[in-house]
Amino acid sequence: MTLEAVIVGAIVGVAAGWLIRRWLAADRRRKEGGCAGDCACASKIKPKK
Amino acid sequence: MVALVGNPNTGKSTLFNALTGLRQRVGNYPGVTVARKSGSCDLGNGTKVELVDLPGLYSLAATSPDEQVVTDALSGNISGERQPDAVILVADATNLLRNLFLASQLAELGLPVALVLNQADVAKEQGLRIDTGLLSDRLGGIPVVMASAWKGEGVIDVRRAIAQTLERKKLLPRVVWPEKILAALEDVTAAILKDTGRKITSAEAQRLIFDSNSALAERLQWKPEQRDPVIRQAREKVRQSGYNPLAAEPLVHYARLRKALEGVVKEGAARASRSAAVDRLLLHRFLGPVLFAGIMLGFFASVFWLAKFPMEWIQSGVDWTKTVVAPPLDAYPMLQSLLADGIIGGVGAFLVFLPQILILFLFIGILEDSGYMARAAFIMDRLFSWCGLNGKSFVPLLSGFACAIPSLLSTRTIEDPKARLATAFVVPFMSCSARFPIYALMCAAFIGPVYGPGWQSVVMVGMHCVGLFFAVPTAFVLTRLVLKVKPQPFVLELPRYQMPKPRDVLWRMWQNAAEFVSKAGTVIFAITIIVWALSYFPRDASVAERIKAANPTAAEEVVKAKVQAAYVEQSYMGSFGKAVQPVFDPLGFDWKITVGVLASFPAREVIVSTLGVTYSVGEGAKADSQHLRKAMKDAKWSEGPRAGTPIFSLAAVLSLMVFFALCSQCGPTVATLAQETGGWKWAAGSFVYMTALAWVAATAVYQVVIRIS
Repeated sequence: MTLEAVIVGAIVGVAAGWLIRRWLAADRRRKEGGCAGDCACASKIKPKK
Repeated sequence: MVALVGNPNTGKSTLFNALTGLRQRVGNYPGVTVARKSGSCDLGNGTKVELVDLPGLYSLAATSPDEQVVTDALSGNISGERQPDAVILVADATNLLRNLFLASQLAELGLPVALVLNQADVAKEQGLRIDTGLLSDRLGGIPVVMASAWKGEGVIDVRRAIAQTLERKKLLPRVVWPEKILAALEDVTAAILKDTGRKITSAEAQRLIFDSNSALAERLQWKPEQRDPVIRQAREKVRQSGYNPLAAEPLVHYARLRKALEGVVKEGAARASRSAAVDRLLLHRFLGPVLFAGIMLGFFASVFWLAKFPMEWIQSGVDWTKTVVAPPLDAYPMLQSLLADGIIGGVGAFLVFLPQILILFLFIGILEDSGYMARAAFIMDRLFSWCGLNGKSFVPLLSGFACAIPSLLSTRTIEDPKARLATAFVVPFMSCSARFPIYALMCAAFIGPVYGPGWQSVVMVGMHCVGLFFAVPTAFVLTRLVLKVKPQPFVLELPRYQMPKPRDVLWRMWQNAAEFVSKAGTVIFAITIIVWALSYFPRDASVAERIKAANPTAAEEVVKAKVQAAYVEQSYMGSFGKAVQPVFDPLGFDWKITVGVLASFPAREVIVSTLGVTYSVGEGAKADSQHLRKAMKDAKWSEGPRAGTPIFSLAAVLSLMVFFALCSQCGPTVATLAQETGGWKWAAGSFVYMTALAWVAATAVYQVVIRIS
């Protein structure tokens, strides 16, 4: 395996991992009654429990 | 503890911020203040009190959950919360009579009250002079102060008034009910005591008689068979006193208030009459919708016109970045393709829409802050009332044009659960800002250059109406046939027309731009890397050898292009897209568009960057690579009956936009819909319905337009 393949693999891996982590965090926020969106509105509209 | 109450749009939240120093978003529409907010308020005399900002409401007739919260909080009926020691009523100084209706009702609760006449600066501009001393005398000596919270004027007086209220405990004089109404109230109080053993206040008895559908009856666990005859008899007594039972309360309160306000307000309504004159035109039954359509048309035309050059600058910047990044990596084609085709191509294709987004939010800010957006709500409300939606549905539906998720949360202000469900179901049809980049890309690449900028704007407005066009019949069927929603009363505050404040408009524009850029640098960035990887791998060397062997005499550039095309086609993304493409073939989508559509199901704006990647993979080595629009224009069908014809024909372009206008392509929206409707049934229904509808509508558009053109 070349160094180029390792670098590209690492970049793709980090991107995929970051996306999965972000979606899991959004799901957790939603379950806690917050906003699951990417619009940062959770701080503006506070849902009732 | 002191509660802050008042009608919506009186600047109550702004005053709360000024008194507590807490930050809170202040909007123009009713229902923005959803949750209970509290903060510590320094009274200036060395003492501090807890100040609670309650949701805005017009009366104590609790029909929505928000209003119920207020009446419960003020009556001390919320478990774990004590009854407030005093109430600060924030009233709009320019509309005293209507605002004091709530004060008159509050008197029935027997709590010490201070009255803050907010927006004093606007009242002064309108030539209104209010005699606060006289008003205080007429209202039982309660403190009455003028303030202008947004300018920070009179806040010290409000602090003093709170301290006085807590100290002197002055009460508002109660309304004097006609004898028969009083008897009816006593009958109801006595009957509840007999049937349930609970003693209720006169204020609660009023709710049971005067409200057509009081939530209080259920909470008191008063059995309908015992309750109904008592309420019927009580209402009959009200009728005998010459009042309609459901109108008696406002009539008695307003008669008393008109008397109390005699000589208190001296009017000079020059500014108000200007506003009224403008409204006569903008809210005209027939002219109003026409002007609304004209304003929207001008709005989108300006977005295109003003954004044209900045977009070209960004595009040049993206191309220049490619020319800098790509050549030094000629020895590393994989890394070169990742950086140039994937990251720069994908993120650049998305970022190029930044000027349009900026101008879009600039105009939205101007429309909102000038007071026109509320008029638009009023114009559109007629349409929504016709299709059976609750009048309050309009606010979430309007905000759905920005983003469906906060709109779904804001449906909580709708009191009727069925109307709320119907509204939540149609909110995702509204053309959110994530749909904007695909409309803009298609219009700028294929509509504007061929049919002119006028048609570009018409198509843009049309695309924003497509969702609405399908939302109306969907809502009609849901509310009238499936859920059978009962009509509910709706009050919409029309704010005064005013000159938008540049600082506020620019701040909102900046916030949206920051969000857009941050999305480009995070989610879009990550997704383009994944899409690139799926479009690049696997790379079987035998593919290149086979093509070279089959084209021994062809020029090197031609062979190279054929190799790149073959690589993309046999990539994971290509194989998947080709496998699924037959499903989208009737819509006129080739496998690359199919890939873009499928990649956009989690978030629809991903389409632009996905097309950016799929149309540029293999191009990175070319320093002067064409940007996305050119690549799409050049794309042609390679096989089948359409071979040699452009993929992005007018039919395909319209079909793609219609598909995006209607399809349920937003993971967080589906999840939020499930959360707000209490399960996955309605969310799954919405996903299947919208996606199927999008497919059918886009197919119809493609098949009709392809035959006509």
